[in-house]
Amino acid sequence: MSVPLYPLASLEQIEETPSLKDGIPYDLEEDLRAYGCKLIHQAGILLKQKQVAVATAQILFQRFWFVTSMKQFGIGDVGMGALYLASKLEECPIRMRDLINVYDLLLQQATHSSTSKLVSQSKHAVFKYTPMSYFGSTFYDLKDALVVAEMQILKRLGFHVNVVLPYGTLVNYLRVLGLTSKETVCSRAWGYLNDALQTPVYALYAVPTIVCAAILLATRHLGIPLPSTPPNCWWELFDADWEDVWSVCGHVMRLYRERDASDQTRLLSMVSKKGVRKWLDDHAVLN
Amino acid sequence: MSLPSSSQAVFEAGPSTPSRKRSRWEPHEALHDDAEMNEPQPPLKRRSKSKGTSLSDPRSQAVTPEPRSQIRVVVERQRPRHSIYVPPRTHHPPLTPSRSVYSYERLNSIEEGSYGVVFRARDKETGDIVALKKLKLDDEKHGFPITALREVNALMVCQHENVVGIREVVVGETLTQVFIVMDFIEHDLKTLLTVMPAPFLQSEIKTLLKQLLSAVAFCHERWILHRDLKTSNLLMNNRGQIKVADFGLARRYGDPVGVGGLTQLVVTLWYRAPEILLGATTYSTAVDMWSVGCIFAELLLKEPLFQAKGEIEMLSMIFKLLGPPTTTTWPDYSLLPLANTINLPAPHPSQLRQRFPHISVAGIDLISRMLAYDPEDRISAEEALQHPYFRESPFPKHPDLFGSFPSVAAGEKRRKHPDSPHAPVRAADYKLLTEFDAP
Ligand SMILES: Nc1ncnc2c1ncn2[C@@H]1O[C@H](COP(=O)(O)OP(=O)(O)OP(=O)(O)O)[C@@H](O)[C@H]1O
Ligand SMILES: [Mg+2]
Repeated sequence: MSVPLYPLASLEQIEETPSLKDGIPYDLEEDLRAYGCKLIHQAGILLKQKQVAVATAQILFQRFWFVTSMKQFGIGDVGMGALYLASKLEECPIRMRDLINVYDLLLQQATHSSTSKLVSQSKHAVFKYTPMSYFGSTFYDLKDALVVAEMQILKRLGFHVNVVLPYGTLVNYLRVLGLTSKETVCSRAWGYLNDALQTPVYALYAVPTIVCAAILLATRHLGIPLPSTPPNCWWELFDADWEDVWSVCGHVMRLYRERDASDQTRLLSMVSKKGVRKWLDDHAVLN
Repeated sequence: MSLPSSSQAVFEAGPSTPSRKRSRWEPHEALHDDAEMNEPQPPLKRRSKSKGTSLSDPRSQAVTPEPRSQIRVVVERQRPRHSIYVPPRTHHPPLTPSRSVYSYERLNSIEEGSYGVVFRARDKETGDIVALKKLKLDDEKHGFPITALREVNALMVCQHENVVGIREVVVGETLTQVFIVMDFIEHDLKTLLTVMPAPFLQSEIKTLLKQLLSAVAFCHERWILHRDLKTSNLLMNNRGQIKVADFGLARRYGDPVGVGGLTQLVVTLWYRAPEILLGATTYSTAVDMWSVGCIFAELLLKEPLFQAKGEIEMLSMIFKLLGPPTTTTWPDYSLLPLANTINLPAPHPSQLRQRFPHISVAGIDLISRMLAYDPEDRISAEEALQHPYFRESPFPKHPDLFGSFPSVAAGEKRRKHPDSPHAPVRAADYKLLTEFDAP
């Protein structure tokens, strides 16, 4: 009896994402996805939410953008909706009010730090939270947006919201490779798996591939050799294809490239769909 | 988050957009993949080189020979065969939005349950007859109800030949219209039991019970508790197959139980395990097994085992049938929240034998193991499947040999009276089959 498989984006969905079709360049979408996931992560920490719920939310969030354009829904709302939904799926529901407040706080904080960075480095104004602004919407508007986002995630993913997390697989693979005694490998690979949650890979590849990529990055970084010459390639033990593993590595590594303050400001201005639409209008000439 | 700090130094790989390597994902993979598999190291450079390859032509790599092709291993290497544990990417379903409920033509309404309405409908595309269950979503202060999520999720996770098949989830025009699309199953066991002229045969009961147990074992293996097993939630098709339905109260176990623990508002009273009746807030797979025991008894009796009007009466009926619990039969009894509010009757032995005079010794043993007081001691679905009861004569009857019944759910009206002119279909079957059946 086979276990139903979790869905992955199809080739068509990957080749031309709905956002790309709407004129949002690939790089920008990538950044917005990563930023949306970062917000989910930070909100999860502030809400003391379980890591499994946060990871599930990030994966649902990533899946969503293969069926929906960022012109249609904002990464802020969808991120909130994903965390709200994932918390229910993982049997640790959170309160709507708490979630909305936390998002509001995070976005105010981000706006504050990005503007103060731009204005002057020396005169560092102290961040002070003013309750409930979230771009001028009232709490009730936000609540509506949250409910709609949750429902849209469900609908657009056809209610296929089962998610398989990679951590158990990592532990198994490290055991097979005899690496469990090396704590650094374990924690580093674990870290890569978490960082990968900010990329679309969990919506693109099966878990074994992603776990292999995390192990590859960790062992390469620590200079630990593993059999890599045919016919003895360690990743083949886990049915992973080199190209796929390598591609996952690429996605993860891109997260660590240098970003400047203007990148951050641009992202912040595009958290809502309004911001995305404005950006599209401003760049309409280029399309 | 542990963000590896100096990782940039280790790799200079850019992201390889998956679209650039489309061939990898097609069911029939190109031969050149093998060569790549043989050269794990080179891709470090090659990847950055091929960064600029055309997005639009997925085959570009196959067409343009790589510089390294000279040193390619000529002998075609066997690709690693995917183990059953790691299906290839192409086996994963794509991300597919919900279709509209208008993909279905509504036929008749089957029943208004406590939780939603169930319709019979026809898939306009395939002509398949299906059951649509409308989820109750209105007035939700907390977004999409967690119970509905659990129901959909449990159905998706527990796809088994004895669990009703979920086909998809479709939506109506407003956000409050969500329907689970299931295979349409002709009967439910409760209606069948009331309209059948004679009880099921032992051999039939064994088959039904085995099917029920294998479905329950499957769910439990996947960490799902059903929490509402009863005859009206067991569907049966005309091929003698049981399908467990109504996961409206299902939930995952092993999950942290929130403040106050698991709810006691589960399982229809007549099928509710004594630990729940006594206020336990942590309970597990054993609650389903109690219900299975009640269903087993109901199949034998042709009516529910405990037909109590309230929880107190329910407990006293249980105590009366099984004898009150003792420190041996239920060591932790006194620790249960409501235990000290209950006056136990005078000790007496179990009355199961008297209640089921016609069943074998093994049969009595199985039912008493399912109705064991101590949840720790209660038989599991997996164990029950191995029970000697299923290996003694009369043997479980092949489902194909079950008679078929007119379906009430499909709107095939029948008179409820057992001696109605339509009933003989079943009666004739009964005669025919008894000849093969040890009494
Ligand atoms: N797939 C199906 N095929 C045919 N009939 C079905 C199907 N699913 C449900 N039904 C019928 O609809 C009835 C109610 O369905 P279900 O038990 O899922 O809903 P419910 O609202 O949770 O019911 P309740 O709370 O009363 O148990 C069932 O008892 C059965 O008669
Ligand atoms: Mg029901």
